[in-house]
Amino acid sequence: MVKGGKSSALGVIFPNIYDKLVPELTTERLMASVQFGGRYRMIDFILSSMTNSGINNIAILVRENYFSLLDHLGSGREWDLARKNGGLNIFPPFAQRTMGMYAGRIEALASILAFLKNQNERYVVLSDSHLAINFDFRKLISAHEETGADVTMVYSKGEIPEKAKEADDASRGRYYSLNVAEDGSITKININPKDEGIVNLSCNIYIMDRKFLIKKVTEASLAGGVSFERDIFIPQMDSIKIMGYEYTGYVGRIVGLKSYFDENMKLLDDKNLDALFSERPIYTKIRDDNPTRYMGDAKTANVLVADGCIIEGTVENSILFRGVKVGKGAVVKNCILMQDTVIEPGSDVEYVITDKKVTISKEKELKGTDSFPVFVAKRQKV
Amino acid sequence: MGKEMIAMLLAGGQGSRLYALTQKLAKPAVPFGGKYRIIDFPLSNCVNSGIDTVGILTQYQPLILNEYIGNGQPWDLDRLYGGVHVLPPYQQASGSDWYKGTANAIYQNISFIERYDPEYVIILSGDQICKQDYSEFLRFHKEKNAEFSVAVMEVPWEEAGRFGLMVTDENDRITEFQEKPANPKSNLASMGIYIFNWDILKKYLIEDENDPESENDFGNNIIPNLLRDNRRMYAHRFVGYWKDVGTISSLWEANMEVLDPEHSGINLFDDKWKIYSRNSGMTGHKINPGAVVEDSMITDGCRISGHVKHSILYAGVKVEEGAVVEDAVVMGGSIIKKGAVVKHCIVAENVVIGEDAVVGAMPTDEEKGVATIGSGVYIGDGAKIGPNAMVSENVKDGEEEW
Repeated sequence: MVKGGKSSALGVIFPNIYDKLVPELTTERLMASVQFGGRYRMIDFILSSMTNSGINNIAILVRENYFSLLDHLGSGREWDLARKNGGLNIFPPFAQRTMGMYAGRIEALASILAFLKNQNERYVVLSDSHLAINFDFRKLISAHEETGADVTMVYSKGEIPEKAKEADDASRGRYYSLNVAEDGSITKININPKDEGIVNLSCNIYIMDRKFLIKKVTEASLAGGVSFERDIFIPQMDSIKIMGYEYTGYVGRIVGLKSYFDENMKLLDDKNLDALFSERPIYTKIRDDNPTRYMGDAKTANVLVADGCIIEGTVENSILFRGVKVGKGAVVKNCILMQDTVIEPGSDVEYVITDKKVTISKEKELKGTDSFPVFVAKRQKV
Repeated sequence: MGKEMIAMLLAGGQGSRLYALTQKLAKPAVPFGGKYRIIDFPLSNCVNSGIDTVGILTQYQPLILNEYIGNGQPWDLDRLYGGVHVLPPYQQASGSDWYKGTANAIYQNISFIERYDPEYVIILSGDQICKQDYSEFLRFHKEKNAEFSVAVMEVPWEEAGRFGLMVTDENDRITEFQEKPANPKSNLASMGIYIFNWDILKKYLIEDENDPESENDFGNNIIPNLLRDNRRMYAHRFVGYWKDVGTISSLWEANMEVLDPEHSGINLFDDKWKIYSRNSGMTGHKINPGAVVEDSMITDGCRISGHVKHSILYAGVKVEEGAVVEDAVVMGGSIIKKGAVVKHCIVAENVVIGEDAVVGAMPTDEEKGVATIGSGVYIGDGAKIGPNAMVSENVKDGEEEW
């Protein structure tokens, strides 16, 4: 393979998995198109990671609520994915007669078996889109080749988020921790564990041989399997070689509205902002906004602001997405204001997350708390 | 099928009066207004006016300009038929020539224009900041049944002598052209934007090329020849913001006017007439605790810890703690280190201003200069750069330059 040349891996992204973790944000969209960090959507991270690693044949298996994602991705040009060969392949349900509404990864992959068989890449990398991450897939591919594993699973060390532990069943999706032996092999996959302390949390990023994937998915779907981890990896731990790959870089994990709030706020620390963005660029859809304008008595401290904003009031410890307006005398503290939010003059908001195109009327007061931020849904006027 | 009108954009100017800013850069590629380059204005005007074919005539330092234009996608000018094309002078069977003048540049590209078989050709200039609807200009041209039209601006009578002036009758028909006259008969200044019927333009370009005495210039040759032949020539009055940013002070002033659209009339916050540009791809900008930002415009990738007052910061500028930036234009990627004071000046791209260095000064009655630091220059710690300085070489720690 030429460095930067044709990739040896095909990318497969599941944009809907974990929608249920943030029901507030996914009423009109899916996890992949949740806004993050001032000007991005969640899928930008994994897509940019793939293209920066030379993976330019990517399949996205959308399930529902995907209009916002299609609008965001367009032809894929902004991620350099408008390619003659490969590029972006979006598979909605029912795109072919064989495809239905899938419940899990196995069904989703089974519905695109013909596509998978037709590709030339040796490997397939699978990922969800709930992580804010700047991941180098080249390193993962080399590690996978070195160990000769059937499957390599990516994990990072961390505590299991409280929010994830709340549900007793799998109604909000599954998460996994991994027991890793000294030689790096995975000895046990735990489904929805409730352990305290630092564990090896799966990033749900896997690499395996394409032919291996096709074989396992074919067998499992015939047997009625749904979950990749539960119905393929776990029952076959003895016969397939699964290795772990520890990722030590920055990970922002979205598992609920609170963690969404916290992970955004973490970017106000330059250390975190640099860790996530500085190594390789993260691409997103361009909106051609003008620069942000600070006028009159604007006062700002500790804010991350995208282009196209007009700020005339006071803003502290907040993240402002593109095109936000903060009127005269308005006070905004500890808030996440998404695209085109308008805070009218004299209003006072604190610990508030506003979705796109929200208006907070003149002289209104709206306050949440650190542990329970108020959420205002898309296009609402308060 | 032919195009109704295509645009030819003159972007070959050296911009020598911008000195340090244009040493490695063609003038149309000079950054402007926080996230734009000058050429974004005519290009966006074209697209917003429905013109989808633009030839850009380059000659001087074309590298950055060529890369910036690329396939034209940021302006939606990547088209199957038409789109944007960069046209440098090229080798022909009969030999090669630099563009001898503005008219010669178009003459050398007659075959490019003919591929689109246009009825009209609009000639644009790549060194002006202006939001103009060229489709409205074309409507005027057609209504007057003109063969040539020029966009003009009313200027104050006392300044008229600095411009090329169009003297017109009551129907806007041009009767005389005065180039920087001592006794102006008109205050309608040419903006250097022309619409020609293509057959007329072609005829006069060929005639001009065959005249060995000609300077091959639109203003000095083509327009006088049209007048000589009594062609139907009209002046279209443009009302709105227009600025030739050919000098350091006018470039600085135009940037400052962007900060005050309510009075200056240059509004970049116009959803109906967007100015497009190639995106930096950086994260949002960050204003740290303790920083002060007043009456300024700031774009993606900036990190502010110091005091920024009435300034424009381009993509990725860093202002460290204790640094003061006032009435300044700071272009992309530059770093203002701790305690540095940067006032009333233009700092080009990727400059480093060392700790406690002083660049420029607020104007006084005697001294109104705009200090200018060229791109990639390093200004050492504690160095002092006077208000009239034009710096294109590194300045060592503690040194002074005036």
